[in-house]
Amino acid sequence: KLGKALNSALKKLARSKTVDEATIKEVVRDIQRALIQADVNVRLVLQLTKTIEKRALEEEPPAGASKKEHIIQIVYEELTKFLGKEAKPLEIKEKPTVLLTVGIQGSGKTTSVAKLARHLQKRGYKVGVVCSDTWRPGAYYQLKQLLEPYGIEVSGDPEEKDAVKLAYEGVEYFRGKDVDVIIVDSAGRHKEESGLIEEMRQISQAIKPHEVILVIDGTIGQQAYNQALAFKEATPIGSIIVTKLDGSAKGGGALSAVAATGAPIKFIGVGERIDDLEAFDPKRFVSRLLGMGDI
Amino acid sequence: MLGKLKEKLGSFVERVSQTEISEKDVENALWDLEIELLEADVALETVEELKERIKEKLVGQKVKIGTNKKAIVENAVREAVLEVLTPEKRIDLIELIRSKGEKPFVIAFVGFNGSGKTTTIAKLAHWLKKNGLGVVIAASDTFRAGAIEQVEEHAKRVGVKVIKHSYGADPAAVAYDAIQHAKARNIDVVLIDTAGRNELNRNLMDEMKKIARVTNPDLVIFVGDSLAGNSVVEQAKQFNEAVKIDGVILTKLDADARGGAALSISHAIGAPILFVGVGQGYDDLRPFDEKWFVERIFGE
Repeated sequence: KLGKALNSALKKLARSKTVDEATIKEVVRDIQRALIQADVNVRLVLQLTKTIEKRALEEEPPAGASKKEHIIQIVYEELTKFLGKEAKPLEIKEKPTVLLTVGIQGSGKTTSVAKLARHLQKRGYKVGVVCSDTWRPGAYYQLKQLLEPYGIEVSGDPEEKDAVKLAYEGVEYFRGKDVDVIIVDSAGRHKEESGLIEEMRQISQAIKPHEVILVIDGTIGQQAYNQALAFKEATPIGSIIVTKLDGSAKGGGALSAVAATGAPIKFIGVGERIDDLEAFDPKRFVSRLLGMGDI
Repeated sequence: MLGKLKEKLGSFVERVSQTEISEKDVENALWDLEIELLEADVALETVEELKERIKEKLVGQKVKIGTNKKAIVENAVREAVLEVLTPEKRIDLIELIRSKGEKPFVIAFVGFNGSGKTTTIAKLAHWLKKNGLGVVIAASDTFRAGAIEQVEEHAKRVGVKVIKHSYGADPAAVAYDAIQHAKARNIDVVLIDTAGRNELNRNLMDEMKKIARVTNPDLVIFVGDSLAGNSVVEQAKQFNEAVKIDGVILTKLDADARGGAALSISHAIGAPILFVGVGQGYDDLRPFDEKWFVERIFGE
């Protein structure tokens, strides 16, 4: 719906003979609406569109380009610049590389861990998965059911209550098993649960991961920024996976998480099946945010 | 005679000292409030609707010169928000369950992936038990890995029985069996746990319709995540279209969420919010109160 609104605003712009300040302001407002509806942080939107407006007013379009094309170009440039321009792949250098996933309850960590394990296995790596979730009933069984069909081993103990111990012992277990990558799943938590945030810090200290991956729900709204910030303060976030992008969510909250953590998005989740994981592409993501389809 | 003149004079003074609230006045005063609502996760679509309502209420209204128009607009916003959140008819769940002639009273839970259905069911089972009602849970999420173990562990902890089949079984058949079980043992309430589903996935939405058709629930509860943003409107609408939603439970409100999603959902489907989830413990379920909520949305 808003993608249409945005397109019609740009069409309006194309029809008007001279592009004056008022027209640019109108287009900028429509871009604001599209981004807010896509769940990008409101303050971030205001900040971003200020830059866009300034550039649109000051810069002359390059030879051959109309003013309208130029404004679209500016919007794309600013948004993709924000997202890191190019896709950044996950690097597996050391053996074993230890990855820790963290995130809010229900954001999709466990499913993403299984997807990531399978993704790496398909690329020839030997993977071990550690379940350190002592909170949610069934977490260990969930991982086992997802990964056993692929012969990926899961370490965990549904009876153990100490998450730090589980994570540490799981990693040590796989260190002795000649695996290339160890992925540690952790329980869901949010910033108000200080005990759980502290537990996350302790897990990170105990296993010293090469990369901490923040898993963020593609449907998350305005809380994304503050939540991501709290995670980053407890443990350095190295990368982000955005989940559930197969529904109507546009994933703008993830943009806020990028802003808060300074970490790049590396994968997106696009379904419930184990193969529904895609490498992140900034350009496609921006098209989605603006509701314009691929340009 | 003199009295009449005084009266006329009085009404004249009254007239000239009044000013009309213009659309511009409202627009100007609304900007900050709009940002505040958006930051509280009220969906843009809902904010737009609220703005229209507020304009209708205020534009053309006469107020005394010198009145703070911004304060008037602020009040109107709160009123409009309260209007959207106040249901046409309230549901007293215990009363509703007791008033049903034959047992069991069947409640189906539906919602998007990860919104908190299973944990909410455990909390509600606990709450119903505290209110003296017998409960059985149908493990009708036969799809997601670990779902059956999860619901069984919860049920064990709160002390209620689970009716389950194996993974891949027909969810409607599981629910049907749970209802038969409740009938045979005179159990008051059946809670049906269903798999999380994406509102755009036709097959899964059809599966949900089938569960509703087979079990004919007395109440369908939509479980929504209060951390969700604009997409929650589309979710609620699609679910409501597929199976009529009677009530809503909003989860994860303890995550510092302001809970504007409640407003978006109420506005999108008109169903009352019954409870809010405020933590991971079984007692962390709070009956909804719209006045408390309005204060929460507008923050400190």
